[in-house]
Amino acid sequence: MSLRGIFERYPQRRYLMFGGKGGLGKTTFSAATAYYLARQGKKVLVFSVDPQASLSDIFQRDIFGKGPTEIIPNLYAQEIDADKRIKEYQEEIRKKILDMYGLEEIPEEIESYIQAAAAEPAMEESAIFDEVVDIVIRGGYDYYIYDLVPLGHALYYLSMASVYDTWIDKITALRQQMREYDQVAAVLRRNKELEEDAILNELLYIKDRINKSSQILTDKRTTAFFFVLTPEEMVINDTIKAAQLFAKFDVPYAGYIVNRVLPAELKKQRIPDYLRNRLSMQEHYLKVIGERFGDQVLAQVPEMERDVTGIPMIEKVARAMFGDF
Amino acid sequence: MTEEKGGLFRAIKEFVYGLAAHDSARYALKSRASMEHLFILITMVDMMGVPIVPPYYSLMLLPYVVPQIATGKRRMLREKDLTDALA
Repeated sequence: MSLRGIFERYPQRRYLMFGGKGGLGKTTFSAATAYYLARQGKKVLVFSVDPQASLSDIFQRDIFGKGPTEIIPNLYAQEIDADKRIKEYQEEIRKKILDMYGLEEIPEEIESYIQAAAAEPAMEESAIFDEVVDIVIRGGYDYYIYDLVPLGHALYYLSMASVYDTWIDKITALRQQMREYDQVAAVLRRNKELEEDAILNELLYIKDRINKSSQILTDKRTTAFFFVLTPEEMVINDTIKAAQLFAKFDVPYAGYIVNRVLPAELKKQRIPDYLRNRLSMQEHYLKVIGERFGDQVLAQVPEMERDVTGIPMIEKVARAMFGDF
Repeated sequence: MTEEKGGLFRAIKEFVYGLAAHDSARYALKSRASMEHLFILITMVDMMGVPIVPPYYSLMLLPYVVPQIATGKRRMLREKDLTDALA
């Protein structure tokens, strides 16, 4: 089936991801797919979970940390500024503490904890993860396209949902058990009013968000993950390994897209040996890809004559991916 | 007279509560306190240098445990187990 066919057959797949090694065209395909869908009248948000995002470069607009920005009608793009998110989050926590306890300033011990927690190595990823949860829960778009980080990190990002999912379930269950003891004591002491457990409420709020996000990432009905690869040995091997790893996290992959395919017609022309060798090598690896992935290969996108930046080039890639529209 | 009656009734109520439910209530509260201790240990243990996943969300809970942090730390430092006795 073609890539276009997949989109037409499964319109309920609203969460789209392109994954692959670094520099293979994930951002290009994310932008081109967003462009195609927007031109079909769908409201699309393409956002980056990569701290070194390149959506600004491809759309030739500085969108870093500026929230969803309209690129063309129906197409919105967003690059998450993790540092800004963390700073806002810290400020939110400080304000909550001051309000809750009527304090003038944050106690030293607490302040140093807030600052130290923000410097934790996983903080940036967690902040991006949480912002993405915000984005998908807030809604408002027909399609969400995740411009993912390279494979290893993407796996880390996707596994974060299931790790957090398990963690939050366990911790909430513990807190609920604590609540039951409170209730027993209250009944025995004939206390009619039982104070609300604010921590339990907050945990249930976090649990709801994480569970929703985790469900989205693993739901085959609503999510499609596309592997991007090029006809090269190492890329093919890495993609096979990654596909096996991703399967462990129930990532619902929908197919493979081959990028940077040199036009076969070149072979008929007078070309240097260097290029002829590249073409022969490509021919071999396209055959390997065909044997290995069969009809899961949804599109072959040619190597473009120049960098893919700016709307006209994005449109060209979209046509190569989806055919004329 | 009515006051005396009320006092007596209260005393009987207290007596019955003490006899039947006081110990159970104490036990429930004690278990609750131990679990509170465990909860702080699980969510805030990174304050003591032991890493925990995920700090982002433990920070979200921080405002609610501000009063317990000082006492929690004291309790954990005081806590002893069998291996301490053997040492």
